[in-house]
Amino acid sequence: MFQPTRSKGPYSLQTRLVLAFGVLLILFLGLAGFVLDRAFKESVAAAVEERLQLQVYALLGVAEPDEEGFFLPDLEEARFSQINSGLYGFILDAEGNEVWRSPSALDVNLEEANFMSQDVAPGQTVFGNMETPEQGSLAYADYGTYWSSLDQEFSFIVLESVEPTDAEIREFQSNLYLWFGGLALLLSIAQFLLLRWGLKPLQQLAMEVSSIEAGEKDQVEQGYPPELEAVSKNLNLLIKSERERQGRYRTTLGDLAHSLKTPLAVIAGIVDQVREKNQANGADGKTELLELDEQLERMNQIVSYQLKRATRSEKSRHLGLSIQVLPVVEKIINALQKVYLDKSVTVLRQLQEQAVFHGEESDLMELCGNLLDNAFKYCHGQIMVKVSNQDSRLIIEVEDDGDGIAEQDREWVLQRGTRGDTLKSGQGIGLAVTVDIVSSYKGEISIDKSELGGASIRVSFQV
Amino acid sequence: MRLLIVEDEDLLRAQLVKALADAGFVVDSAGDGESGLFQARECDYDAAIIDLGLPKINGIELIKTIRQDGKNFPILILTARDNWTDKVEGLDCGADDYVVKPFQIEEIKARLNALVRRAAGFSKPTLDFAGLSLDTTAKRLSVNDEEVELTAYEYKVLEYLMLHPGKVVSKTELTEHLYDQDYDRDSNVLEVFIRRLRQKLDPDESLKPIDTIRGQGYRFIVPANNVPANKV
Repeated sequence: MFQPTRSKGPYSLQTRLVLAFGVLLILFLGLAGFVLDRAFKESVAAAVEERLQLQVYALLGVAEPDEEGFFLPDLEEARFSQINSGLYGFILDAEGNEVWRSPSALDVNLEEANFMSQDVAPGQTVFGNMETPEQGSLAYADYGTYWSSLDQEFSFIVLESVEPTDAEIREFQSNLYLWFGGLALLLSIAQFLLLRWGLKPLQQLAMEVSSIEAGEKDQVEQGYPPELEAVSKNLNLLIKSERERQGRYRTTLGDLAHSLKTPLAVIAGIVDQVREKNQANGADGKTELLELDEQLERMNQIVSYQLKRATRSEKSRHLGLSIQVLPVVEKIINALQKVYLDKSVTVLRQLQEQAVFHGEESDLMELCGNLLDNAFKYCHGQIMVKVSNQDSRLIIEVEDDGDGIAEQDREWVLQRGTRGDTLKSGQGIGLAVTVDIVSSYKGEISIDKSELGGASIRVSFQV
Repeated sequence: MRLLIVEDEDLLRAQLVKALADAGFVVDSAGDGESGLFQARECDYDAAIIDLGLPKINGIELIKTIRQDGKNFPILILTARDNWTDKVEGLDCGADDYVVKPFQIEEIKARLNALVRRAAGFSKPTLDFAGLSLDTTAKRLSVNDEEVELTAYEYKVLEYLMLHPGKVVSKTELTEHLYDQDYDRDSNVLEVFIRRLRQKLDPDESLKPIDTIRGQGYRFIVPANNVPANKV
């Protein structure tokens, strides 16, 4: 089954810490609870044994032998006299025959009691537990003694119901659960807060990096904890070297363009010279030269277009800045006014100050340069430039009063993927490059009819 | 028209020099920025073609320095770097137009003619004066709507005078802008050209288009139809 790759990746720091702390919490609280429970139960059991022993001594103290067995005249403990009180006394002889039982034990059936078969040495006490159908769970102490006046051994046995001590243990346990539960909750909250506090710089760093990626920031700010300081410093170095690398890459490709285009210019010149020579000699070969010209032009277009693509960085890899749009637009208009001086073009402006573009300045320059150059080239004398930030989008609109672009041609002109080598000769690569830039920034481009009468090209980007 | 070409690629420079000399320009050339600057300071040019990627002094610096020196002749940039950042920088620092390599030599000629004409203040390729019309694209003269044949040198002299209307142009200036440096500067030849031009432009001697200012030179004095006021 398909699983999102994220869940397969390494656990997040938060998950790791929560898991580790959770396991530790359970182990610690569980163990502590177990030890406390054990200790309490043992101390309760010891107290019971001590009480039973004392009762045995009490019976011994008042026991007087007679012909029928033993006579215990005044038992201080009232529970021995009260029937089914929960405290029972027995005296057995060496053969295990009952010689006496306390009035409280009238209903107690001793046949299943395992201590009946026990042989306890004089002076020894054996403790134990037994289940009875009527009286429930009982704890007992079996004390062996030698009665010198009768020259016989006897067992003095005291049984006591464990019901009250069980209740005591249960109450202790429920208290224990309550306290430990509360403690676990408190520790969990503390852990949550600690994690948030501890991981906050990491989150901040992630946010800074994403805002650098979005072009809102230039570099990571200082002031991180020492552990992260090294990361943020190295990150800044990486960003810087990445920018430099991009710059070098671009320069290299520019040099490549330079070194390819000059030979192309030379070849074009040679073709011209050959043509002139042929004309002077009256020789033919015009079509071959024309074809050579066409191929040269194609080569040139392919080189230009692909180099323009290559030197432009992908939006996703941008470590760029916010660029003010207006100075760039004004610079290009100034330059073009010079080139198209003969046309004396009037440029109407609707420019919103502070309009910004997130990306490389060279991309913005290329975009505006191509749009405005087309407008200057095809206008009859008037151009309108609109730049604005609307609903968190940057909108650049260039209109002219030229002949416009026919409706059936618009889609074809804008088709993404119109490749340099499929362009018709003389068509120019300006608009193809513009479309490329727009799509690499995930922007939109559309062609419409301008109020001025010509084409209106509208480009918009998410800011 | 005297033209300076600064281009470091020898073959390309030789091609440009030949093609533009054939087109009637007097051409000087330099292979690096330093000698380009020397030439620009030494001579009075009507236009320059400057490659941006030059050794020693790069094109941008060269153009800046030329402009700082107060030289106003139009400059055409040659660039292999077809991106707007470079184009805008070049135009910003004082160039007037650009051509991206590789180029058709015809395009360079057309751009140069337009630049020279524009620098003289004419916005159209035809220089119109009362009764006289010089088509700088086709290099043709019409007098009262009738075409008049001119030799290459006659055309050069007339074009230069027409591009500087009302201004006294010395014989030295004319020679400098119309001939190569090593050409024998015989002022008598110039006088012959002027006399022939006068006959062709004004056969019935009613217009008297070219004035001779004794000891100083010549002046074209026909009222223009499309010359900006500040140029007359």
